[in-house]
Amino acid sequence: MRLIKETHIKFMDQRRFAFVLSAVVILAGIGSLVFQGGPKLSIDFKGGTMIAVTFNEEVDITQVRTSLSLVNVEGQTFDLSKEEIKSFGDPSNISIRISHQEDEPDNFAQSVINHIYKTFPELVPPEPKDFILIIEKVGPKIGSELRGKAIMAVISALALILLYISIRFEFRFALGAIAALVHDIVVTVGIFSILGYEISLSIIAAFLTIVGYSLNDTIVIFDRIRENVKKRQRESYAETVDHSINESLSRTVITSLTSFLVVLILWLFGGEVIHGFAFAMIIGVVVGTYSSIYVASPIVVQLHASTPTK
Amino acid sequence: MNKKLTPRYVIISLVLLWAVYSLWPTVQLQTLSEAELETMREEGNYGALESKAIKQGLDLKGGMYIVLEVDLPALISNLALNRDEKLNRVLEDVTEKMDQPEADFFVLLTQAITDHKLRLPRYYHEYGSNIDEIITNLKAQADDAINRVLEILRNRVDQFGVSEPTIQKQGAHRIIVELAGIQDPERARALLQSTALLEFFLVKDAEVTNDLLTRIDKILKGSESLEDLAEDTEPADSITVNEETAKETPVSDDKTISVSELFGETEADITDSAVVDQRLFEDRPFSALLRNFGTDIGIPEKNVYAVKKIINMPEVQERLNAGNGQLLQSNDSEQITNIDGQQENIFRLYYLEKEPELTGGVIEEANERLGSQVGGQPVVLLDMNNDGTKQWSRITGANIGRRIAIVLDKKVHMAPSIREKISQGGTQIEGFADINEAKDIAIVLRAGALPAPVNILEERIVGPSLGADSVKKGTWSVLVGLALVLLFMLFYYKIAGLIADFALIWNILLVLAVLASLQATLTLPGIAALILTVGMSIDANVIIFERIREELRKGKSPKAAIDGGYDRALTTIIDANLTTVIAALVLYQFGTGPIRGFATVLFWGIVISMFTAIFVTRTIFNTLAQRKGIQRLSI
Repeated sequence: MRLIKETHIKFMDQRRFAFVLSAVVILAGIGSLVFQGGPKLSIDFKGGTMIAVTFNEEVDITQVRTSLSLVNVEGQTFDLSKEEIKSFGDPSNISIRISHQEDEPDNFAQSVINHIYKTFPELVPPEPKDFILIIEKVGPKIGSELRGKAIMAVISALALILLYISIRFEFRFALGAIAALVHDIVVTVGIFSILGYEISLSIIAAFLTIVGYSLNDTIVIFDRIRENVKKRQRESYAETVDHSINESLSRTVITSLTSFLVVLILWLFGGEVIHGFAFAMIIGVVVGTYSSIYVASPIVVQLHASTPTK
Repeated sequence: MNKKLTPRYVIISLVLLWAVYSLWPTVQLQTLSEAELETMREEGNYGALESKAIKQGLDLKGGMYIVLEVDLPALISNLALNRDEKLNRVLEDVTEKMDQPEADFFVLLTQAITDHKLRLPRYYHEYGSNIDEIITNLKAQADDAINRVLEILRNRVDQFGVSEPTIQKQGAHRIIVELAGIQDPERARALLQSTALLEFFLVKDAEVTNDLLTRIDKILKGSESLEDLAEDTEPADSITVNEETAKETPVSDDKTISVSELFGETEADITDSAVVDQRLFEDRPFSALLRNFGTDIGIPEKNVYAVKKIINMPEVQERLNAGNGQLLQSNDSEQITNIDGQQENIFRLYYLEKEPELTGGVIEEANERLGSQVGGQPVVLLDMNNDGTKQWSRITGANIGRRIAIVLDKKVHMAPSIREKISQGGTQIEGFADINEAKDIAIVLRAGALPAPVNILEERIVGPSLGADSVKKGTWSVLVGLALVLLFMLFYYKIAGLIADFALIWNILLVLAVLASLQATLTLPGIAALILTVGMSIDANVIIFERIREELRKGKSPKAAIDGGYDRALTTIIDANLTTVIAALVLYQFGTGPIRGFATVLFWGIVISMFTAIFVTRTIFNTLAQRKGIQRLSI
């Protein structure tokens, strides 16, 4: 069986259209980022408290919000009704994200949980320990350290990859590949911003995986180009690139399809904890495949045209 | 079988055998019944089995991950001899700057000392005569302190009884604690964070205490800093006025002090009792927050924060220092029914001597018991060493009739009157919520006090039910994802797809076997990486198969097509996969816990997929191609 028969698509002729498409998506993302004052960071990166608790049945978030307007921790009172409260996977679970409070006591997160537990005695499990799903508390210092580490990780991964491709291919391939990677990350961050999803540690892990995946795709095509340039001296460079993409198209589609399938399954069945990660991977697989064909390759063609050949 | 292929089969069989051997303990652990596992525990074989099986991360097992930092400013302050305001200011300055990422305490300290022109030898002449020498020695003290903290925490956790705890140093002054399967995070947190500083203070006379309260009232009335206090307590509507009086006294903009001015606008609708009498409050702002509570002073729970704020005001602290005393609160509240018939939680407030008579260093043994009194209240029995016994006998003998407060971590547990001289060096502490609390306090007292307090920088807790849920959902996702990919490959590439499927299953088994033998931890992101491996590792086979198809289309024989396909695909596969390997390595380097789990599985998933795709499937293909009379490949 063959899904993709022999194709002769003129990909390079479509590159202007693709550039416009990419530009629109990227600009929309950047617009959203500017509008919201940067990406929405999770408590991993800005510090704060995240708790998730489970009720016996569906719970009205408005009621929880009202109950949190006055939380008393040994005489110190907090108004948490403005914090982000939403359901966590299941309507009977809720999560609360609380920004760092002034003069926050050590047992703050636990006190908030105890407060909710006492406020809804009919809706909670009999044992308090069964009530808690997650408590995460990140101090502001750790938050900014993790932020620095995440930025370093992304930059060093990109630098290492640039180096590797420069060694294995020509430098213009490396530039094309990096452009595609930056494209993928910017698009994903933009989409996250538009949808109001937050960037956490696991999303950074997803970004780096997307980088690896997208590159995998790009390199398979580059490899073909490298091989075909030797064989097809009479064609123009753009034609060779088109030819290479067409030859590897069947592989690109099948691998993207299987990868897409598994991350889709992860997104559907993996549970709330992994939901954001799976979503980032879904975007990554789609955008990564697109960028290999429509970002990385055209840039190589462009750079080839502007450098004199011997 | 062809002779050329035999060594390949030997290698493949050996790897397979090794994988089964590595995975066997994990399989055993999963399939044995609870009763069989119990027998193993009794025979002492369980630990060995568990250590060979794949470890589950805290996010799957449920548990607690905590990053602690030794409070260095407090430690350095404790080491100082003639502590004064100036030193305190320098340390406060440093504490503020410590919030910056990667801040180094001693660099900041040296900086602050120069900025404030602090004469260090004045406080630390024991540690040297010039700044450099003193800083070096204080650094050594800090290193020593963190090692002692580490040891004491290990001791506490061991006695608490957690299976396979991880307690390790991270960087210079941080400690990471990982406790799996913790049922009561509140208890575990208290166990780790308790400084276990036990002190015995004499309680000041009632007369002196009343005098102090009057003076604090006066300070507050005349104090300009009342405005500051009002600012500080703005969001706290803790002091609620009787609704009637609040109406009587409208918010005024003149200089008289009203509650609303002091603590911000009060919300009448959340008032459930009148905690402060308005007229009394104007006259005696501090006393108005307090209550008579038997012979002691009581603080209603709602006023605790306001009282704490007032006590920490510099003017009040000055007053306390001048009187050589300190105000400490009881460790727990007592519930009473007040005159209006409402339930109220009351803490006690004690005015104590500033210097302790005796500290916990003399404690030799601590054990929790249910007391002999009615109700069997939990108590902790303390035994002192010789030195402690002598001192205790002298202190109790000299202060018959006075009260002595037993204070743990700056909270008063009890303050009994001394009836007679105690010469046998034993005492007991009361005031615990339940026997578990008494047990935990006994543990921390036995393990000894921390040389300095520890602060929690980061804390992540996953409840056991969520962990179990994640395992279930993760496993389900892997199985469904795997099944879909296997079916697709079989459908699309026929016999060749079957070979790829075989390689894929093998790939997953090998990744798990590597995890087991590396004693790596499987986390939820690790499971996600396993699923990604399923999707991505099939890529190597797809690249090869597509190449073989191309070769076949050119009219080559099956044998030649296989050889050509594999040879051409090889560099592509290596180039393409190495980039993901780079990403995985970077992630491993920067991540902790769950993210590392992800990077580990991703790394091995890719490395092994290259082996299975290039080596294993090729061997099978070659075997097929060498069979006589094969005319076409099913691909």
